[in-house]
Amino acid sequence: MKKVALIVVILCGAILIHATSEFPKWGEINSPASLHVSPYYIKYSVEQTDVPNIVTSVLADYRGFDTMFETTVIFCAGLACFLLLRIFNDKEEETESIFYRHIPSGIIIEFKNHEVDIRDEDFELIDSKFVPYDLIIKTVCRILIPFIQIFALYVVAHGDFSPGGGFQGGVILGASIILLAISFNLKTAIEKISEKTLGVLSAIGVFIYAGIGCLCLILKGHFLDYGKLAKILPIDPVKARAIGMLGVEIGVAITVMAVMIIIYINIASQGKHQEGL
Amino acid sequence: MIDNHVFPILIVITPLVCAFFVMGLYWVDKRLCLPLTILAISISFISSIITLYSVLTSGTIQYKLGGWPPPIGIEYRIDLLNGVILVIISFISLFNLFTSFNQVSHDFPEKKGTFYSLYLLFTTGLLGVVITGDLFNLYVLLEITSLSAYAQIALGDKKRAPFASLNYIFIGVIGASFYLLGVGYIYMMTGSLNMGDVAHLIHNLHHSQAIFVAFIFCIVGVWIKMALFPLHIWLPNAYTYAPTASGRIIAPLMTKVMVYVMIRLMYSVFGIDYLFNTLHISQSIIYLSSAAVLFGGIMALSQDNLKKMFTYIIISEIGYMVGGAWLGNKTGLTGAILHIINDVFMTFALFLSAGNFAWRIKDLSIHNLEDIFQKMPWTSTGFVVVALSIIGIPPTCGFFSKWYLILGAIEAKQYLFIIALILSSLLNIILFFRVFEKSLFSSKPHVMESKETRSYNLIEEAPANMTIGLLVIGAILILIGLYSGKIVSNLILPFIPKGL
Repeated sequence: MKKVALIVVILCGAILIHATSEFPKWGEINSPASLHVSPYYIKYSVEQTDVPNIVTSVLADYRGFDTMFETTVIFCAGLACFLLLRIFNDKEEETESIFYRHIPSGIIIEFKNHEVDIRDEDFELIDSKFVPYDLIIKTVCRILIPFIQIFALYVVAHGDFSPGGGFQGGVILGASIILLAISFNLKTAIEKISEKTLGVLSAIGVFIYAGIGCLCLILKGHFLDYGKLAKILPIDPVKARAIGMLGVEIGVAITVMAVMIIIYINIASQGKHQEGL
Repeated sequence: MIDNHVFPILIVITPLVCAFFVMGLYWVDKRLCLPLTILAISISFISSIITLYSVLTSGTIQYKLGGWPPPIGIEYRIDLLNGVILVIISFISLFNLFTSFNQVSHDFPEKKGTFYSLYLLFTTGLLGVVITGDLFNLYVLLEITSLSAYAQIALGDKKRAPFASLNYIFIGVIGASFYLLGVGYIYMMTGSLNMGDVAHLIHNLHHSQAIFVAFIFCIVGVWIKMALFPLHIWLPNAYTYAPTASGRIIAPLMTKVMVYVMIRLMYSVFGIDYLFNTLHISQSIIYLSSAAVLFGGIMALSQDNLKKMFTYIIISEIGYMVGGAWLGNKTGLTGAILHIINDVFMTFALFLSAGNFAWRIKDLSIHNLEDIFQKMPWTSTGFVVVALSIIGIPPTCGFFSKWYLILGAIEAKQYLFIIALILSSLLNIILFFRVFEKSLFSSKPHVMESKETRSYNLIEEAPANMTIGLLVIGAILILIGLYSGKIVSNLILPFIPKGL
């Protein structure tokens, strides 16, 4: 059966490669792809949208509707992850021993006896897959994280001018929180940004995108026709398009960040949100 | 005042925006989730009716997203075919909420809000796939639809559903990437992603190998997603173990929407001339779909689980529609489109009745259905109507689409397809009468002990909303059957492209 599968895969690949022989040459000026719609984008994008980066203007304006749904795909992934992995009843499974952390000192106490139940504010229950953390890693990460976050904000805000934008910035922002969770522990990360906040943020991000679209609709334009925002902003329609794109990029960044963290937290702690990785 | 041109976008945007609100509300007040979901899909339903009405009165509607003219930006294009399907999707999605809200609270007490959010996203995805006039936009929405379907299916049966969903993901992703590869090839050769524009540009490329490969990859990708016979292996388990509330909407809509996508690609992008004059593959595809019809029927016969039997019926019905679309004549295509409409309702009703039975009997094996007619008289009545419709008994709608398909096959002289269609009807008779035999005529000797007899006669119906829902759909099946002449002449024939 494996051999049959391999043969099918090779055949598919052969057909695909064979068909590429008809493709225009690499970098060909007269290829259909560079003759039909691309010249329009190259010629008019700066003039119509006031965004120097053509990729951004195609992504967030000319084909902005696709990007909205791409963001929704990410939101949907976070939702699915939450729905499938999150466990609410904290019934302890049959584990070898129970761990408690003394919060002020960070000392871990292990109990072999299952009946132990410490109800003290200084102690918290953690799960057995705990790995003690390292002082060096902790210190380095503490210094590094703010810079990562500032860089993320730069990538988001600079999407109009250089490669970057909401998706990339959001991932970097999410990575900074994940780094916090790895270098300290999951609970510290959840304390900084709770599950509820993450859920709401992931929805708010896409909502900003769709909301800007709806605002254009209310202002009697087409959906996502940012030019109509000029009616409420003190700028001309072309500038309004640039502002609209920036707003949309911010929305994308928020959702991507929140979903990255949701996925990490749920997978790392197997849905229990206790200790995990 | 709302302008008329707003409605096409409202169809897709309201469920989308409300999906985010429902997700947010989940943390505020869980009780508000369901009403908001209903409100969102109702608005979408009303807008799709208004849109269909304006398509009927003033022809094809175009909506420019972002205000950019078509080949530059993305365009929504609503003609009769997708106008009708939009109304059906939003109706089924709305109706399913009424029939299964108590099922949802029963299955997911803590995660209701997120479930409804996912449900709305699934509906958005389907509506978006159908409404769009852009090849890439279709892919993006297909992704949303599939992703939310995978997640919903994985929530079902604790032991089997995650694995079934994983299989579905692997195969579904291959299907989606095939489609995407095809779209990539089309873009390389034409430089456009707009369906109408591509249809225009493809005229000069009829003998291009790359376009041929693009066509094959798009169509095979869509076939994987709709589970045409040799590519169907993901479907039975995924749909059997899905949670009742989602199975009811995923099973009827997902595959049928993919059939719509195939018809759209065939007739609105590649065009009749290319399909039937340049390519010579229609004959083999009709053989393939005949095989699908028969295989689905025979496999259904070998199933013991009621739900699994239904899933193989879906595979068989997919064969009907693909065959009809490839017959290459007016009658065949009419039959295929009419069958999309009918089959959405038939499959929905099948899964409604399965859900109602499952509310009382946990294990849906056929031998467990003994005396179900006495226990659940109303559900069983609905079930009988659906069964008759799937077999194709005249007053119900199933008969009429099959009639058109057979007429089309005779016209095209595709005798194998005719034989497959008739044999499949016979197989369906055996299938359903096997169930009737168990449910109507008890094989158990009537024991005289008073306790047993009393429990026999007890009526234990599913909750009222589920039962009424099934009966309403049963009535709709008969109504569609009675009015199918009007449906064909007003809604389907005007769409059929000239030259067929």
